[in-house]
Amino acid sequence: MKNLVKITVLLLIVVSCTKTPDFSNLHYSFGGGVLILNEGNFRGGNGSLSFYSYDSSKIFNDLFYNVNGRSLGDVPNSIVIKGDKAYIVVNNSGKIEVIDKASLESRATIRGLISPRNIGIINDNKAYVSSLYSDSVAILNLTDFSISGYINLRRTSEAITVVGGKVFISNWAGGKEIMVISAINDKVVDSIKVGIEPESMVLDRFGKLWVLCNGGWARQNYAELIEINPPTNSIEKTLVFPTKDASPSCLSIDGIGQTLYFLDNGVREMDIGSGVLPLTHLIEQKPGEYFYKIGINPVNSDVFVTDAVDFAQQGYLSIYTPKGTFISKMKAGIIPGSMCFKLRINS
Amino acid sequence: MVVFHSLPLNGQLSTDYDTIKIREVVISTNKPNSDPAGYKKATIDSTVLSNYSNSNLSEMLLENTNIFIKSYGMGGTATPAFRGTGASHTLIDWNGININSPMLGQSDLSLIPVGFIDDIQIYFGGASMSLNNGGIGGTINLETKPVWNKETQISLNSGIGSFGRYSGFIKVKAGNYRIQTVTKGFYQYAENNFRYLNNEIGIEPVWQTRTNNQVRQHGFIQELYFRRGNNITSARLWYQSADRNLPASMLTSPNSGERQFDESLRTMLNYNAFKGNSNFSFTGAWMLNRLNYFNRLASIDSRNLSESLTLKTGFENPIGEFTKLKIVLDELSVIIKTNNYDHKIARSTTTLTASLVREKERFGTTILVREILDRQTFLIPDFSVGLQFRVIDEKEYFLKANISRNSKIPTMNDMFWVPGGNPDLKNEYSLSSEISYEMNQKISKSLHLKYDLSVFHYSIKDMILWHPGEFSYWTADNTRNASSSGVESSASVDFVRNHFTSCLKAGYSFTRAIGGGSKIENDVSVGKQLMYIPENQFNTSLSCGYENLYSSWTANFIGKRYITVDNSKYLSGYLINSIKTGIKLPLKRSSIDFNFNIDNLFNINYQSIAYYPLPGRSYNIKVLVQFVK
Repeated sequence: MKNLVKITVLLLIVVSCTKTPDFSNLHYSFGGGVLILNEGNFRGGNGSLSFYSYDSSKIFNDLFYNVNGRSLGDVPNSIVIKGDKAYIVVNNSGKIEVIDKASLESRATIRGLISPRNIGIINDNKAYVSSLYSDSVAILNLTDFSISGYINLRRTSEAITVVGGKVFISNWAGGKEIMVISAINDKVVDSIKVGIEPESMVLDRFGKLWVLCNGGWARQNYAELIEINPPTNSIEKTLVFPTKDASPSCLSIDGIGQTLYFLDNGVREMDIGSGVLPLTHLIEQKPGEYFYKIGINPVNSDVFVTDAVDFAQQGYLSIYTPKGTFISKMKAGIIPGSMCFKLRINS
Repeated sequence: MVVFHSLPLNGQLSTDYDTIKIREVVISTNKPNSDPAGYKKATIDSTVLSNYSNSNLSEMLLENTNIFIKSYGMGGTATPAFRGTGASHTLIDWNGININSPMLGQSDLSLIPVGFIDDIQIYFGGASMSLNNGGIGGTINLETKPVWNKETQISLNSGIGSFGRYSGFIKVKAGNYRIQTVTKGFYQYAENNFRYLNNEIGIEPVWQTRTNNQVRQHGFIQELYFRRGNNITSARLWYQSADRNLPASMLTSPNSGERQFDESLRTMLNYNAFKGNSNFSFTGAWMLNRLNYFNRLASIDSRNLSESLTLKTGFENPIGEFTKLKIVLDELSVIIKTNNYDHKIARSTTTLTASLVREKERFGTTILVREILDRQTFLIPDFSVGLQFRVIDEKEYFLKANISRNSKIPTMNDMFWVPGGNPDLKNEYSLSSEISYEMNQKISKSLHLKYDLSVFHYSIKDMILWHPGEFSYWTADNTRNASSSGVESSASVDFVRNHFTSCLKAGYSFTRAIGGGSKIENDVSVGKQLMYIPENQFNTSLSCGYENLYSSWTANFIGKRYITVDNSKYLSGYLINSIKTGIKLPLKRSSIDFNFNIDNLFNINYQSIAYYPLPGRSYNIKVLVQFVK
């Protein structure tokens, strides 16, 4: 009996001394929500992945590290979901992390990319990756997660939009062109002259391509919003911002492709049929806030805005209704940036 | 910060038999600036420095002081942090003239060869104001000075070590009691291709080899000294260059092919005249600094050239029996040519400093007032007051206290870099206070004890930080305040008996440097420890010598350092051990010295800056030959 008591006491001590692993961050819903990339500081290596869950209305931070036991990398810039996988482009680490979109477990890492920025999925087997520094777009083989080739654009690249058999790639840093590539033979087939530094692009419900040109980093030119007809590669509409001080970025569109959104000292919205740029903000940026990226819920058009604060401490994710009414605000990682909406279906 | 000073190390222990075999000469100088009472100042003497003649200043400070060195690794940039302040708050002076880059406002200690320096004085906090303005954290003054004798001395020092490291150093000294010439030259190349464990690249840690990490440095210094009576005239010329590849972080791939070329040419003319207890000094220094940075991948070709002319004159004169008045006028003119500014920029700063030092019986007092004229605008005057009390008469037991207001004008990059430079920046300034106790006691013929303890507090206002501006690019602004408080202490025991010598030293510092006063609502960094400032630092060393043999052991502990402003992530602390052993063989009046050392004895995997690995265990062999005639 004495021994039994001793063993029981010993077991209690052992059990009480055993640190329970903290899985609190892993208890996120596997349902619908938003994957948010936190860029972290350049060369700080503190980029991370967050998930906002529709089910719990909570945000879960640092998930890539918690799931995979290592850092996501230096400046994760963009994320795209295709099938059961999500592709995270990690700019200054020169890689793409391929993760399971539900469990977030790493499936593959594609290395050897030069300053990759965005990924455009062509089909189940092929994707293009733009580059801030290289003159070529990398072609990825999504079957074995390798780089299968390059397309020489003779200029750097940024946003990628796939329209049928064509791929439109913007030449952002110091550029003023949209390169048109045939997705069938991976050749440059045309280029379209636009405004200075085409930064972001979206496709509307009529298949028209909208391009936001920010006018240059020092605002030496007027920013422009341009509508392009993809079948003819021709410009159909050009809206010039009224002052050089305008600094629009991050062009987005709602789920039905009817309303455009972009950042310009706050969030502005514009119907695709409008002939003028919006004069007022849908959502005002308050003092102390620094709106960095936006994302539009494709189902209900809720507006998700990231706030980078001072680009050093953890930023915030704020959610607004389509009318711009504040819903909630929660802390994300350092410099929360690109978002990708994970629909409940198949999630 | 705790500094171990004046104590020989690593086999260069000053013993009776050494003195016989190698005629060591006491180096003395008639300095115009006597030490102000009430301030903490430490000295690293020439015997310690001679052990590091093939090393750079960051390596020497790291192992011999508690000044925190933030290093990108072998060959990479290394900057100092005094008492929780930043690199730009530390001045590096060369014979009292600031050599920090006017563009960056800081010095890269990895580019300064210790072999070029004869003496190092470390001025903590307010003590730095006796030399220059802007050293909020402190000043490290590098001295080159003559030894007045008739000896001709040639020293050759060569080393070879792990990771493709080769170094050579030569010093030739000649002259007599009126003229001295000293020439020093060095060359160093390091492949720095060490292996490290990368646990960030995949699910399992991977051993990798550091690439694009080569460093090639060379330089020389020529000194000429003329003495006539009590007056000394000197001319110095210091050239050096460093060509280095910059490795990527552990998270970055492929290597971006970054490269940096640093080149500097420093010239100095100095005249010191002494008459009784009075003295007059004049120094003129012209310096050129080139820093070119290339990034093949990002197509960056950054070319930066700065020229500065410093004219500094001062006199010191007794007022009555116990008081000295010192007046110093300092004019600095800077011209910057770079493709990162809109156009060539010039700046002129004039500083007038007046100080009174009174020492009577056991009490000492210093009062210092400074006025700065920067770009034709008078700034709010700085001041410092120090008090000193000798606890026991005729014994070296001191209580010291001081308070200071010290300003730092913005760097040229802060004001004129495109994009983001802000010409309207205000000065940073600090209000600092310090209380310290120092004792230096010879216990017996063979035992010597030194001890010091300091408590300090800094409050830094209008700190300049870069943050995102209106058009998405970063801009400099006086955004916040910060404070730093701490305790530092050091002790050393010297034991000498017959042919045996030993020295045990230990130092500890606790620094709480926190961010405050932010313009951001709910700023989570307020009240948190500043990034990359360790709260705890500890170092210790034991040196022993017996006849011709010597050996030493050093251990350096750096506590955890936060790498996010909210203190949510940090780099773990580390303890690095090194050992060294050698033999010094006398050859008439000359000598030959062989030594072997192992750094990072226990092969610790560690980082000073996140994701920039530092080398594991490494080996070095050095041979020092000294001819004396």
